[in-house]
Amino acid sequence: MRRIQILSDYGMPGVLLLLCLFFSVVTLEEQHPEGEDAANRVAPKIAQQVPQDRPLVIVARPTLRDQAFARTAKALLQERGYRVLAVIHGEPPVIRLRLQALADSAAVPAALVTVPDFRLPLQSIQTRIPPLAQIPVIVPDSYRWPTFLLRDNLINVVNQIVVIAIIAIGMTMVIITAGIDLSVGSLIALSAVIAARLIAGMGGTEASTLALILASFAAILACGGLGMLSGVIITRFSVPPFIATLGWMLVASGLAYIISGGQSIYAIPDRFVWLGRGTAFLGIPNAVVLMALLYAAAYVLMTHTVLGRYIYAVGGNPEAARLSGVRVQRILVFVYTVSGLMAGLGGIVLASQLKSGAPTYGLLYELYVIAAVVVGGTSLSGGEGKIMGTLIGALIIGVIQNGMNLTGVETYTQKVVLGLVILGAVLLDKWRSRG
Amino acid sequence: MRTLRLALIGVLTLALVQACGKKEQNQNDSSRPVIGVSLLTMSHSFFQDLSKAIKAEAEKQGFDLIMVAGEFDPARQQNQINDFIVKRVTAILLCPTDSRAIGTSVKKANAAGIPVFTADIAVLAEGVSIVSHVASDNYQAGRLAAKAVLEAIGGSGKIGIIDHPEVESVILRTRGFMDELNEQREKNGVEIEVVSRLSGGGVKDKAFKAAEDMLQAHPDLDAIFAINDPSALGVVAAIEKAGKSARVRVVGIDGMPEGRKAVRDGKIYAEILQHPQDIGRRAIQAIAAYLSGEEVPPKILIPTSIYRQEDAKKDPMLATAK
Repeated sequence: MRRIQILSDYGMPGVLLLLCLFFSVVTLEEQHPEGEDAANRVAPKIAQQVPQDRPLVIVARPTLRDQAFARTAKALLQERGYRVLAVIHGEPPVIRLRLQALADSAAVPAALVTVPDFRLPLQSIQTRIPPLAQIPVIVPDSYRWPTFLLRDNLINVVNQIVVIAIIAIGMTMVIITAGIDLSVGSLIALSAVIAARLIAGMGGTEASTLALILASFAAILACGGLGMLSGVIITRFSVPPFIATLGWMLVASGLAYIISGGQSIYAIPDRFVWLGRGTAFLGIPNAVVLMALLYAAAYVLMTHTVLGRYIYAVGGNPEAARLSGVRVQRILVFVYTVSGLMAGLGGIVLASQLKSGAPTYGLLYELYVIAAVVVGGTSLSGGEGKIMGTLIGALIIGVIQNGMNLTGVETYTQKVVLGLVILGAVLLDKWRSRG
Repeated sequence: MRTLRLALIGVLTLALVQACGKKEQNQNDSSRPVIGVSLLTMSHSFFQDLSKAIKAEAEKQGFDLIMVAGEFDPARQQNQINDFIVKRVTAILLCPTDSRAIGTSVKKANAAGIPVFTADIAVLAEGVSIVSHVASDNYQAGRLAAKAVLEAIGGSGKIGIIDHPEVESVILRTRGFMDELNEQREKNGVEIEVVSRLSGGGVKDKAFKAAEDMLQAHPDLDAIFAINDPSALGVVAAIEKAGKSARVRVVGIDGMPEGRKAVRDGKIYAEILQHPQDIGRRAIQAIAAYLSGEEVPPKILIPTSIYRQEDAKKDPMLATAK
């Protein structure tokens, strides 16, 4: 029994850890150093392979990191007594022209130095310039490390599920009350389109920061309003949540197409990507920070407040809840409003990430959100579930999708695997709770 | 219960290992450049032909591929490109799900020094750099479609368009179509009137409904121009249902097997054929040329051609596949 207790406490986080471990192992690959780090690694390697005061040429692509590489490498090599004939920056055609010019002036270097990512293109350029064809291309040594565990990738994983995770907060509450909200996917599109349209109307790419904030709040509130209407229809007229939110799903999607005229709206200032792409705190994307704050707030709400206990009570047994004085209808309207607000916020985050609003956003997101909630251990029959479980569920989905992209699994296979994993996670959960 | 549970975990792990392991061997070979490809979708024979051609040409050029599809979801495609960047692919080939929204991802790839190419659908966002765009000459395809319509109904008549105006390539097609019609009107005095223009979303079921409504509203319609094959097939179904096969002519653009078959059977008057094989081949060739330092033109247009019943009767594709 104790083992089962442990499994039910740590089941899903355990699955998440196992998945991370698995993808770390399969993505263990050569990693290519970049920028100054690459320059520091390449200098001693050249010292071993090329005698001093021989001429070298440094080749780099036109990016900031490559420029840093070229600058540092040049300084380090000159320090060691090498002659740096030229530093060539540019796109491949430019590099080819410059190298050709070098070869024509009979200035043949002893080696070409570049970053590992550009080794293959450089070699292919080299073979087309006969005098240079035999010259070695020296790049810093690679090291082995799981691509999955790269800082950029871990941020990717969280960034990729941030929209789903935010909406899943509202969905968890809805599902705990034994309901469902199918409208969230369409609300994403609606919110993104309303915000983009308002911004376009308030100056477009010249819009002020205040306009951006106002437009975002207006869009979120509009979605919250639609969510509240769902709640009212469900409670006042005893319409099943499935049907009521299905209706709003179509309405919201249609409205998004009408407001946008079916086009994506992109007259938005660059500052708007602050929320989705910016980083204000330790290099963590702002949207991820926002998600963490929302989860903390929802956790407190669900575990430490009367309102939270009422939500569980309504889902567990609405009649008993009513008899013990809980205003069931108000609680239901509240959770659908929260779900609408969260979907609206998700739409703003997505619009910010993509710097545009289009009615095609959020396609099938309701299903991913529900999957995240269910994988996270919330029961569709209501009354039980944990907010933090939902976060784990969303992360599981994110890790699987990212891992499969990294390992080059085809789109169709990805769907099959993702579906199996969702089914498997839920079955595991069933067996676990049965003992 | 425990055995069952263990078995389940085992099966799931196997599924994952299978899925991820398959591609693993050739990707660790760092002597071949890796090209990240994200298509619009895999569930359309145009993109299936495109992806086959990409695979074949990549094999020839010595490239490894990571091929995925955004399946019409801009956010999903954004994630795929972010993953390409983390993977440090040598180049990226895209069919954008949204010509504008993809901009932020392309910018990120630009900053990482990864050259980006597009096939079929262009990127319209500002301030991003695309090395080269390879696509059907959609404008020319629209003009050819107008010629085919004129050929089908003679010098005068009423026509409808089943549109899908969210997509850049379709906008070009309808623009070419309208330009050719206007030109013919001025030059040769043809009296063709576009009486209805409805969106069919580029898919069969919606095009079917749109065409049904169109036929209801305009019983004297002579021809319908559908902007792609799924739309054209939806239109054919609506015409058959209305019992107007004898009167209303259909012209579509694409050249999917099902569309070609409809041309052979006389249900579609003509198709404007795209050549996805050429698009895929030329795109990979452009990447290879660019990586070896050659200048690549920013736009490579692949011409389309008219395909009528007599072409369909000789078509080897239809002789083998029934």
